[in-house]
Parts: sequence; structure tokens; C-alpha cells
Amino acid sequence: MSAREQILASIRAARERRAQVDHPGRFGAWRPEPAPSPLHGFETMFTQAGGEVVHVSSSAQRDTWLREFLSGFDELSLGVGVPAEVAGLGPTPVPHGSEHTAPAGVAVARAAVAETGSLMMDARDGRRAQLLPPILVVLVDATTVHATLADALGAVRADLPAAIGLHSGPSKSADIGQVMVKGVHGPGRVIAVVAQAGLGAYRHASERPSERE
Amino acid sequence: MSGNSSTFRPASYREASARTLRDTPEVRDSVGSATRTFDALRTKAYAEVDSDRWRDWAQDVKAHALTHLDEYLEQAEQSLVANGAHVHWASSADDVHRLLEAIVVEHEVRTVVKAKSMLSEELEVNAHLDTLGVRSVETDLGEYIIQLLGEPPSHIVGPAIHRSLEDCRALFHEELGTPMDADPDELAAAARAALRGDFLAADLGISGGNFVAADTGTIALIENEGNIRLTTSVPRIHVALVGIEKIVPRFEDLAGFLQLTARAATGQPIGLFVSLIQGPRRADEVDGPEEVHVVFVDNGRTALYEDDTAWEALRCVRCGACLNICPVYRQTGGHAYGWTYSGPIGAIIAPGLLGLDRALPLPHASSLCGACVDVCPVRIPIPELLVHWRERTVEEGRNSVGERLAMRSYAELAERPSAFSTAGEALRWTPWRAVGKALPVLSGWMQEREAPTPSPKSFRDLWREGIE
Amino acid sequence: MNVSLFVTCLGDQFFADACADAVRLLRHVGAEVSFPLAQTCCGQPAYNSGHRDEALRMMKHTVDVFEDADYVVLPSGSCACMMRTLYPELAGSSPEDDPTAAETMRNATRELAARTYELSQFLATVVGVQHLGNGLDGQRVAYHHGCHALRELGVSSEPVALLRGAGARVMEWSADQECCGFGGTFSAKLPEVSAAMADHKLDTLPEVDVVTSADGGCLLQLSGRALRRSSDVPFRHLASLLWQGVTGTAESEGRT
Repeated sequence: MSAREQILASIRAARERRAQVDHPGRFGAWRPEPAPSPLHGFETMFTQAGGEVVHVSSSAQRDTWLREFLSGFDELSLGVGVPAEVAGLGPTPVPHGSEHTAPAGVAVARAAVAETGSLMMDARDGRRAQLLPPILVVLVDATTVHATLADALGAVRADLPAAIGLHSGPSKSADIGQVMVKGVHGPGRVIAVVAQAGLGAYRHASERPSERE
Repeated sequence: MSGNSSTFRPASYREASARTLRDTPEVRDSVGSATRTFDALRTKAYAEVDSDRWRDWAQDVKAHALTHLDEYLEQAEQSLVANGAHVHWASSADDVHRLLEAIVVEHEVRTVVKAKSMLSEELEVNAHLDTLGVRSVETDLGEYIIQLLGEPPSHIVGPAIHRSLEDCRALFHEELGTPMDADPDELAAAARAALRGDFLAADLGISGGNFVAADTGTIALIENEGNIRLTTSVPRIHVALVGIEKIVPRFEDLAGFLQLTARAATGQPIGLFVSLIQGPRRADEVDGPEEVHVVFVDNGRTALYEDDTAWEALRCVRCGACLNICPVYRQTGGHAYGWTYSGPIGAIIAPGLLGLDRALPLPHASSLCGACVDVCPVRIPIPELLVHWRERTVEEGRNSVGERLAMRSYAELAERPSAFSTAGEALRWTPWRAVGKALPVLSGWMQEREAPTPSPKSFRDLWREGIE
Repeated sequence: MNVSLFVTCLGDQFFADACADAVRLLRHVGAEVSFPLAQTCCGQPAYNSGHRDEALRMMKHTVDVFEDADYVVLPSGSCACMMRTLYPELAGSSPEDDPTAAETMRNATRELAARTYELSQFLATVVGVQHLGNGLDGQRVAYHHGCHALRELGVSSEPVALLRGAGARVMEWSADQECCGFGGTFSAKLPEVSAAMADHKLDTLPEVDVVTSADGGCLLQLSGRALRRSSDVPFRHLASLLWQGVTGTAESEGRT
């Protein structure tokens, strides 16, 4: 008998003796405090975990902030979804595959989650660009912030890439003598640039919570 | 079907724990401080939500998944295959070793980067890769530290919690050339720089899996450093080793488990990095592994599943909350337990995964204080399961003849009140300080404590004389 | 109010004075106290070490002994837990040859469980006492929560409130809810770890005049370890301390 058949056969034999339990349904938020607005909730949670949030209300404001922030770097890694006008703002983009040489990067979030303060990173934006630069700027469309993680997972499940990353702050570890350090493997500094509706070239606009409800 | 390794030695728990306390008292300090910190963070994180409701929900989802496990495993397999992943089934550590060998040979793998995985520790993957001439590098900072030290993890979540900052300074000074007074940031930066090269050079990334969503074929992984995301994104091949009990039915179920596990483990709302992996790189993606292999591992889990009481332990999400609150674990950390899983959860799954014979005396390594069950995110009745394995030990005649006879005589006495009080009287008049060290039970007591002083008169006598 | 006192094995032999103080306390609040002489052991040592058959035998004996009691009160949270929580479980999961007898036993254990109380729990919840006297005025007391009283019986505020009500200053103790390391046979099977657990309790102990607990086993463990470490802090059973609260004087001297 193959391992597969062996495993399934043992389970089926023992399962006969187990009282079947029903699935309890969808996970609710179940908190004593009412949730604040998704955008406010996201900012609170993300900054609590050490992330930074910048709000921009026009493309000019966005580009001014980015130009200023990126001026200190000579090279930049770019997510696939980063709008072309942003790509041309200053530092030289490194080619895909060389993200590890860039001192900073810009990527795009497919969505964000208020409940957990998470940026939802889609593999189609490029996984190395999300992970290898020590400083990462992530463009977020304010209308893609979901109230709960269950909402966000429900919104993307119909169109899943090979991998999704939920990034909820800078990389951290307390493995060395219980002292917290930042930037162990993933980016040690993460800045979410939250843009008001329609400013980013976001490819998954149909998943915006406001349009689904 | 159980692990066939020779390096796991729960049998020497008493000697190992005594040795730890005697020879390396600083371990108790490090472990005590780390676990109390973890537990305080968990307490706070539970209080922020309706944790009772969360835990009821999680218990039910896991119980549902386990009572339909065959169906969900098959569904997960179909989903993963549809996503382009390879699915393998392994009964034992040997099966996993053979599979890894085939991958290593086929792809001429030289370097492996590993994401922290307790299952890979249980399967002793590193030692096997070593025999194949493959360099295997642990990338989680804690795992990296203990790999350099040649030690197994001492905690499910914090593998190096038994080591102090000074230990790490000395180790990194020796291995990476950092100054002896380097601060933790400098040490972490040195490790990052060293491991960055390994990530880029590795042909194969090996991870575990915290959860597998059956409907979408998603492997979910929780971490804080980003090394798991790198391990599963940068090398050409990714192998995920997952226990068959890791299944949850629905993709949306992950919303609850990712948050609850983080709150239980470290008091965080969610791990800083979560990977949700469906399969290999797709045509419209610029990077990611070309091949993804998912291995459903048994290695004794079906034996646990077949036990009508102990199967509940398979709900475990490996958060480590029961270790953190366990007053027994806090004294020594995990090494004394002699195998991968320590603390209360280790003591109740060891008899299933290793066999009861090899697992003893771990089910006795508990005062049954019950603190663990109060914090378990999936409400595993740990003290009941400890007693269950103690009962099985008695049923199978694996305890000492002396203990069996003593307990039988004690029960017989207890049914005869006059004999019982006579025996009590005799016990009270025993010169314990003089003879105690020669008696089996008392010698253990008197080794560490002074013998108790019996009352001058028993209560029975006081009652007969009349109480004013 | 008729109360049957179950003094437990340890109480009978090692805390006889405290058990006598329990009688005095119960009479003080108006109870008629009886002491069924046929009582022996609740069976917890056998149950905890996996000797289910022996535990069942002791359970049946105890159920018989206290069959007619209105209330069963124990100066022990651990043994009270055995009767309140574990008896019904033990009876429920041990099918006998005779289904009628099994059902009778299950009912008997459930009824007994409902009538059984740890001493401070009984005083606070059944009698409804809040204030016993001022005899502990100004005494600095450390209260050790026995695990079974705390987690299985949910008894934690009752003993502390009674001590405070008698004027005691119950001191902050970071480890007051952490296990002392007794655990019955655990303390003899794994003495090194057990002693390290007691050490943590003792190392975190604030400066106090007396350490107390509702459980004799814990007190033996902690005082035995304290003595080995040459500490001279006194340990006394909760029943004795509460009776001192009533009288203002210690009927029995502290055990060291």
C-alpha cells in the first residue's frame, strides 16, 4: 500500500468512531471595541507594528513625496505594478533579478487590512521586489483597505497568484537574547503611501470593498 | 510508522532536567524570563478580543477538519495539483528523506535554505541533507544561532530562548567576526549579511506549513523576520513539509487561525510576514520558484488519530502558549525533554508520535496544574490527556511493579477505615528524617526538601478528645 | 446547617490542628459539624498517576461515606476538586458490567459534587460570610493559590477576601498563581524540577509575616523547600489563619 493509501485508510477507519463536528462558519471579528474606519484602523495597527504611513491626496503630492524620499538613493527596485510615472522619479531602476542590489524599493499593495494592519502583496508585483530591499515604499489605494482579514481573503480568493504575502510592519526578531531588532531579513523600514482613490495603477480595482458591497 | 531516529531521548528527562538545573542555571533564567514575557503579551492580546469566542471557533474548525480529514486531504491535494504543485505523501521520516534525496539528485542541489519548521526537526532533515553532501542553512535567526551551536530548538516558537545575549555575542564573534561588545542590531545585521548570500545561492528552499487550506490549496506560513517569504520565493525549488493535521477547510478560515495563532504565540495581532502559497510561479509572474512540492507527512500522526482520547491533541497549532505558561517547562526549557516538541504539548503528542514506550516519562513531567488548558487557543484538554497516557502506562504494565503494588495496597487500605487510620498512625510515627532517604517515594522528596513534621496527634484523635 | 468535614489524608496526619480550626470556624458560623469516621482518601493520588481502577474504588468508598451529608467541606482545594470535578468524569467514563449500577454511580457523584466545597468557598458562597473578625490586623500575608482551587474550582477571591476581612494585608506576589511544584507523586518522581518550581515561588516571595494556602500539599512542599534553604518564614494553613482572625490569637503555632 502506498503512503497515501495507508494514511487515508487509517484516518477512515478511526473516523468511524468520531462524532462529526460541523464547521462553525465564518470567522467574525468578535472584539469588545467597535472597529474604527478601515483606513484609520489600518494606520493604527500598521504603525503600532513599526510601519510608517504617509497620506497623499493628489498624484502631484504623491510624486513630490516620492521624489524627495527617493533622492537619497542611487538605485531602486520596482514592483511590476508601480506606475510608469513613479518609475521615472529619480533613482535608476535595477532590472528584475537584481533587486538585492537596490538600497530601496517601491512596490504596490493589492489591498490592505485594517484588522491586522497588513499590506497584501501579490506575487504578480514581483516577490523579490517586495522582500529584498532594506527599505520598502508600498503604494496603497485607500479604497482597497478591507475592514477584516476574512473580508480581504474573501475578496481575492477568486484570483489567487502563486503567492500572497501579508506584510504587517518591518522585519523583526527577538531571537538574540530577547532583544527586539529590526530588519533581519525582510525590509527593516516599510512606508505605506496611502493614496486617495484612483491615483495608483492598481490592477485589482474590482476587489475594492466599496464596489463589492 | 513512528520516527526511527536514535537521537531522541525523552527517557532521560529526569537526568537531563536535573543536569540543566545544576550545571547551567542561567538557562532557567533565560527561559523563565522569555516565557513570562511571551505569556504576559499573550494575556494582553487575548484581552483585546473576545478570546473565548475565537477559541471556541478555532476548536470547532479544527475538530470539523479532523473528523473529515480524509476528505480535506484529498481536496487539498486536488487543489494543489490544479495550482501546478507536486503533492507527495510520506508515512515516515524515511519516506521524506528519500523524497528529498530524489529532488537533490535531480536538480543537483548544493545549498538549501530552510525556514523554521518543527516538522523538519522532527524528521531530522538537516542531518539527512548533510549525509547527502548538501549544505543546509537555517535562516530564522533563532534557528541560525542554534544551528551554529549544534543544538536542537528548545522552544516551538523561540528556538534559542535558552541562550542569552552574551552567548550570542560570543558565538557571533567566533563565527562572524563581530566585536565582543556588539549590540543586538549589529549581530542581526551580520547574520543578515551572511544569510543573504545563502538565499541568493540556494537551489532549494525547505519550509514547514502552519496551515493548509483545502479549498484553494494554500500553504500558510507565519513569521516575523521575512526569511520564510525569502525561502519560499527566491530558490528555484520550494519543498513544504506539512503534517497531515494542518488542514483547515476554507481559505477564509485562515483569517481566524493566522490571528489567533499570533496572539497565542507572541501576543501580536498577526505575524509580521504571512505567506499564502498556492503553487509554483505562473506565466504572468516575474519570479518565484519553478517547482513547488508539498509533502503530507504522517510520521506517527495517524497513530495519534487512532487513539480515541489523544486524537484531540492533533488540533494543536504549535503556538507554544502552553510551554510559556508551564511551570515545569519554565525551569529547564525544551532540551531536557529530549526531542523536538517539549512542554505540555510535547508530553501529550510524544506517546503517539514516538510510541508510549519511548515517550516515557514525559506524560509524568507535569504537576497537572492546569495552566496550559486555560491558554490553549484550540482548547486541547492537556491535563486530561496527560492522565490518559498515565492510565495507558498502567494498563500496559509499563510502570514499576513497586508503584503498582503500592497503589493497590493503598486502595485496599482506603476501603477499610480502621486499617487506614492505623496505617496513618504508623506513618506519623515513622522517623522520616532517619529512614526517609531509604524509602522509594520519600527519598525523592527528601533529596530536595526537609521531611514534613507530622501533627503530634491525628485529627481523628483530636476529634475523639473533643474540639473546643 | 449540617456539615460533614472531610479532613483528607494530609489534613488528618499533618494538619490536624488546622482541621480542628476548620471545625471551630464552621461552628462559629453556626454549622453543626460531623466527622464521619469511615472517611479515608478521595483517590486523587491514584487518579493522577494513572491508576484508574484504584481511584474508582476510593471514589466509591468516599461516595458511600458522604452519602447522607448535607454539605461536605474540605480544608483542601485539591481534594475538593477531585470530588467536584473529577468524580463525575471518572464515574461517567467507566462503564460497568451493570448499566443500572453505573447510572446510579454517575448520579451519586453528580449529587455529591454539588454538595462539596472547599472551606473558604463554603464560608464565602454558602454561608455568605464576609467578615469573621479582626484578629489578623496588620499581618502581612502571602496567599498561595493552589492550582486546583484556582483553576478547577474557580476559588481565588474568596480566601483573599476572608483574609482581608480579618484585617490581613494580603501582599502582592508575582508568582502567587504559579504552581508550587507539589503535584502529588510528581514531587517525588521528578524532585529536581519540582524543587526548582518551589524555588521560584520562594525567590519571588515578598516580605511577609506568614505564607498561607488552602492546600496542605502545597504548604508541605513550600515549607519543606524553605526549610532546606534555611528560610524561617512561617507557613500556616488557611483554616488556622482564619480562625486566628476570629479569636485574635493563634490556637496552633505556625508550622515551620
